Amino acid sequence: MRPLELRDVTFTYADSSRRALDGISLDIEKGEFVTLLGENGAGKSTVCMLSNGLVPHAIKGQLGGSAKVFGYEVSEHSVAEFATRVGIVFQEPESQLFCMSVEEEVAFGPENLAVPRDEIRERVEWALGLVGMKGYNDRSPFSLSGGEKQRVAIAAALSMRPEMLVLDEPAYALDPVGRTDLYRVLRDLRDKHGMAVLLAERDAEEVAGFSDRIVLMNSGKVVGSGTPREMLRDPDRLKELGIIAPQMSELSMLLNRRLGRSEFSFYSVEEAERAISPLVSSRKPGGLR
Amino acid sequence: MIPRPSGRADEDCIIVAHDIKFAYEGGIEALKGVNLRITRGEFIAIVGGNGSGKTTLAKNLNGLLRPTSGSVDIAGRHASKLTVAEIARFVGYAFQNPDHQLFSGTVEEEVRFGPKNLGATDAEVARQAEHAISLMGLGEFRAAQPLSLPLGVRRKVSIASVIAMNPQVILLDEPTTGLDAGEIVDLMGCIRALNEEGHTLILITHDMRLVAQLAKRVLVMASGRIVLDSDREGAFADLEILRSSKLEPPPVTLLAHRLSEYGIPRDVATPEQLVDCIVPARGGRR
Amino acid sequence: MTGFVDLYTESNTFLHRMDPRVKILAVLFLSVLALMIGNLEYLLILLVAILLMLVLGRATLAKTYFAMKLVLRVMILIVVLWPFFNPVGSPVLFEYWIIKITEPGIVTGIEVAVRIACLASVWYILMFTTTQRDLVRALVKLGLRFDYGLTLSISLRFLPTFGSMVDSIRDAQRARGMEFDRGSLVRRSKNYVAVLVPTVVSALRTADTISLALQSRAYGARKDRTYLRALRMRPTDYVALTIAVLAVALPAVAKYVLQIEL
Repeated sequence: MRPLELRDVTFTYADSSRRALDGISLDIEKGEFVTLLGENGAGKSTVCMLSNGLVPHAIKGQLGGSAKVFGYEVSEHSVAEFATRVGIVFQEPESQLFCMSVEEEVAFGPENLAVPRDEIRERVEWALGLVGMKGYNDRSPFSLSGGEKQRVAIAAALSMRPEMLVLDEPAYALDPVGRTDLYRVLRDLRDKHGMAVLLAERDAEEVAGFSDRIVLMNSGKVVGSGTPREMLRDPDRLKELGIIAPQMSELSMLLNRRLGRSEFSFYSVEEAERAISPLVSSRKPGGLR
Repeated sequence: MIPRPSGRADEDCIIVAHDIKFAYEGGIEALKGVNLRITRGEFIAIVGGNGSGKTTLAKNLNGLLRPTSGSVDIAGRHASKLTVAEIARFVGYAFQNPDHQLFSGTVEEEVRFGPKNLGATDAEVARQAEHAISLMGLGEFRAAQPLSLPLGVRRKVSIASVIAMNPQVILLDEPTTGLDAGEIVDLMGCIRALNEEGHTLILITHDMRLVAQLAKRVLVMASGRIVLDSDREGAFADLEILRSSKLEPPPVTLLAHRLSEYGIPRDVATPEQLVDCIVPARGGRR
Repeated sequence: MTGFVDLYTESNTFLHRMDPRVKILAVLFLSVLALMIGNLEYLLILLVAILLMLVLGRATLAKTYFAMKLVLRVMILIVVLWPFFNPVGSPVLFEYWIIKITEPGIVTGIEVAVRIACLASVWYILMFTTTQRDLVRALVKLGLRFDYGLTLSISLRFLPTFGSMVDSIRDAQRARGMEFDRGSLVRRSKNYVAVLVPTVVSALRTADTISLALQSRAYGARKDRTYLRALRMRPTDYVALTIAVLAVALPAVAKYVLQIEL
């Protein structure tokens, strides 16, 4: 059963007339790391909250089409039922941690599921280890940095042992160090644990490195789906869609234009170095401009 | 790293900080001796990671916090003799979270709140508010309820409500957090227009890509001190300083450093600049 | 505002290690005891005993002072004013027009003040030596419904968060020229709207996210629920409990059954 299968899904929030999701079809396969890119209002959050039933059970509105999570129709099962298979991390670091200590926070989910105490302890240590927060058990969430808070939020979702992890703009409020640490955790999750991951982002910089697939969204629809290389090669298109383009994509495009060529398409600094060195290697150091 | 003070005529300095130190209750020293001279019309970025002291410094420049030692001069006056409200005439501060400022029924009322507090006449309030609304492109939202608008617009309303007080200096705290590409381009345009109008802009951020597009002078902060005070190019030339201040150099800058052995300058900050270096505008190399 | 909301002082005294349920019950019993005793000498002995326990609980001077500031003010107020409002008995020490001060009046005033000191100190012992987490856990174990316990713990958890949020909102409005300590009462109340609205809106937004997070972690999925941290009574806890029970039961018997003056 696919972690996520959306077919022509439509959704309108209760207090709005605009369709947040306008006939969207999207699949996520087992173990796939999919990054959803789109501008504010494109519908990314709605898709995220659909993945564990918050839409439509906790967030009222009109849901149409078929939305299946691990084979179960979302509208027909409660959020609690999906909680064991889908974990979710929101963008606000502060408000999604509501317990008085890190340990309680990570244990909260399994406690609600009446998991035996010894197993809870194991899961807490395992989850904290995965996010690099071992030893933080007794710290209060208020005392943590933004990046640390988000990692605790991930651990709190992981302790329920989900098969899919959904993250709605987790790096939103983080500084560069927090963001790097967060993405490293996501990269590890992908490389070592074969969990399906759905990541929603506005900024395409960095996500190329660990996404299996990139899906472009606009106005509640999917407007592109493919490998990172395919989806990120056209920075103008990304800008039109309100997505912040990776600098390497912009560089490739500008270089192609300036030289009247079309083969440049790098999306990492290493690739760019390899491609550009031949162009400038005939220069003397400190040479002409 | 010894900070290079920019020597300018004193009368032109709108803000001067004399060796200010600041410690929070509980003893944490957030500023450990900062010296700073800001001239009218500058566009400065104060950058640093969490805990570098950049927000603390900003709040010491508008009176929300008072230095525990040292002093700040604003428009030639000692800040210690001025109340926050009096300083607000010279230094406006747009907070990172617009929802901490918005409370009115319409955007227009919200933008008028500031100048009203400063005691402007009704005519002045209307004029200043109008100018701010049009500069930030908020005309179509004039009668809308601020809290019901999307984040990008709320951010603009919050900035407009600060501009409406017509301060010479405008402090913007992480203005692009949460904005998508279109909203960022839009906001950057408004910010540039403000600077062109003659306002002194101080941008507080940890996003070096933004700094590359906007700032003309960069102050890098780490552990409560200014570790680098230079023009924009200078800030991007030194990767070590950026990294040790918990900042992430933009990918193009990293690339430029790697290509520096071929004569590519290290202080490249944007893709356009790098392409210009690789392929000179005229004719182009083979 | 975010200052000493959490009174817990980290340490490892026997009081810190005691089961929080026993501490809560002991504090209740001691409070009852303080209310039962009428004799000033016995009250003073009780107060000294309680203060001794505060010392044993390694309460720092700074926190104790902060906590007791309010209590001390109330105490002084009572000692000074009580005799004026309760001029009973003899000997009369002073009389002029409608003012009459008697010795018993003064003594009773002091008794009431000392009693209040006992009550306050005994609760502070609890606060200084017990984490908020353990307090809530103990209340739930003693019979408080888990839902209410969770509400209590979430409220406590977010107190510092909301505190710093209100500070930030006040700063933001001050930077727009708003002054909180000047102007007419009407003007100042209007100003508070500028702080109240953003606070309420942000609080509601936070509450929304908390609700979504709770649901996403299967809160309420089942009637039964396990707990990672167990509260287990140890032999020393039973001893302490017994002492606490006796500390109130014996005097109660003495006073109400044997009619001994306390």
